[in-house]
Amino acid sequence: MELQILWAALVTYVLAGSLAIFGFVMKRKPERTVLLLLVLGVLLHTTSIAMRWERMGHGPYITMFEALSSGIWNLMLIYTLIYWRIPAIRATAAVVMPILFVMMGWMMLFPPGEIGHKPQVYHTVWLYIHIGFAKAFISTVFIAVGISGIILLRKIRYGAERFAHLPNDTRLDDLSFRFMAVAMIFQTLMLITGAIWAQDAWGRYWDWDPLETWAFITWIFVIFSLHLRHTYKTSPQIGALLVIGVFITAFLVFFGIPFVSTNFHQGVGGA
Amino acid sequence: MSDFPPSSITSPSLAVRCLRALASLKLTLILIILLLAGVLIIYYTKTRFIWALALPFIGFAINLTATVLTNPVFRRQLALLVFHLALIGIALLIAVERLTYLKGQVEVVEGETFTGQMLREESGPWHPRRLDKLQLTNENFTVNYTNSDGILRRVDTRNQVAWVSPNGVAGRSIIGDQEPLLLGGYRFYTTINKGFAPVFSWRPADGSAERVGAVHLPSYPRMHLQQQNEWQPPGSATSVWVMLQIDEEILSPDAPSQLRVPDKHKVIVRLDKARWELKPGDSIRLPDGVLVYQELRKWMGYDVTYNFTLPWLLAASILAVLSMAWHFWQKFMARPWNPTGNPNEK
Repeated sequence: MELQILWAALVTYVLAGSLAIFGFVMKRKPERTVLLLLVLGVLLHTTSIAMRWERMGHGPYITMFEALSSGIWNLMLIYTLIYWRIPAIRATAAVVMPILFVMMGWMMLFPPGEIGHKPQVYHTVWLYIHIGFAKAFISTVFIAVGISGIILLRKIRYGAERFAHLPNDTRLDDLSFRFMAVAMIFQTLMLITGAIWAQDAWGRYWDWDPLETWAFITWIFVIFSLHLRHTYKTSPQIGALLVIGVFITAFLVFFGIPFVSTNFHQGVGGA
Repeated sequence: MSDFPPSSITSPSLAVRCLRALASLKLTLILIILLLAGVLIIYYTKTRFIWALALPFIGFAINLTATVLTNPVFRRQLALLVFHLALIGIALLIAVERLTYLKGQVEVVEGETFTGQMLREESGPWHPRRLDKLQLTNENFTVNYTNSDGILRRVDTRNQVAWVSPNGVAGRSIIGDQEPLLLGGYRFYTTINKGFAPVFSWRPADGSAERVGAVHLPSYPRMHLQQQNEWQPPGSATSVWVMLQIDEEILSPDAPSQLRVPDKHKVIVRLDKARWELKPGDSIRLPDGVLVYQELRKWMGYDVTYNFTLPWLLAASILAVLSMAWHFWQKFMARPWNPTGNPNEK
């Protein structure tokens, strides 16, 4: 049942994204319908995750399927909230939804898995706080990616015509900088809470495991990009490229490291 | 109002010019790149090349201090000042931590008392060594297992320890997993590294006092097929090869189970071509004494750390991130988050 509800949520997301792309191509603004579909999709997805959580006895962070499902869920949740509260960014749906489509397709490549065991180090409230900040970070960067996509698409006539009604590039650049600054706060809190968890779990707050190291490298990249934009007053296009660079790095760290590492964090498993 | 006398404004002294150069935002960017390079060096060379990180951190401390001293914006924006001071604090605390830390491992057999002898350790040059002033006795421990997807999975570790702190206070605690023992500034964590330990007594042929020792066999169940080790009885010049043969199932492949000492087991001892199978109470004569197999116990591996800067580092980090959030809040709330499409809007 939970899987059927999940598929319904994914179909709803696809409808919302397709409608947003249709609006971009046809120079229409079906924003209210897109918002409605996004809200419906998030509600269905939340129900599916809650049902699985209840059945398995652990949150969506053990299998790759669960990690991707919860990744899509948090991106959609935060994006929907911002879509609702900041109408100026609604046009970004045509840019960001295709990224979600790729993630959904990727998730379908994995079996859901029925691993009921939760490692002992996961029995701590710090896990939820740490993951919560990580999700808030990637979601906030995701919104900045949408804004950056508009700035870059405007460099071609096709995009310039369709995004002409939006605020100018400088204003959008300022907005993307804000989201990146907020993302940096969330990411710093993610690193701090991760260090508290690691100290509790393994007796060291830092050990250069692959995920720790690459999360730290991503943080340095975020700091570097913000500092570069502030120091050299870079053009909106350079700022947009930096945001996309940060997102690609963060995405690879969040969803790529588990492919090359036995565990999300070194020492999570082990008999 | 300026903090400098009028003559200084028109012609700043060399010291002020140097400070301003050190406060450069471009230098900050270079230091961020150096930090990135340092992280990559540490990660890919798998070494503790501490200068790769220490240099950028020292650079940040100088750059931030110079910025706070020379940039008047900090006298107007309290949040930014607190953020930079917190960052300076973090850099200094990390330096102090590197000078005073201790990190090591120790293995203690059930019933045995740890009195400061580490198996492996590394420490900073200013570490105030107090390990020999405390005692930790591993009284017993349990490790529960379950099966999930056909894989043996560890559930929890509970270890009862008795301890005496450096100032003579004694007590008992249950530790394990996320719960370390805090003793004299040191933290003792149980680990997944644990196993069996055949305990022997050694009676030297020269009539000197009998001594007791234990062979720490490789970690169990991780290395369950390699339950053997070379061992030299305490005070003996002879080295023997010891193997544990377990004749029953300890951890069940399809039901919850607990790590325990097997009832059915043999301890096999080899010296050159001679081979003995021992049960508790059996003894063998070696060239320089008699070895008596007493019993089989378990050993637990502990990670031991010392880092008194931890709470201060946490406080400084939280202060830094909160002050940064406060700064951004003030800055961003001054203009709307939802810009209109008006081309005249700034």
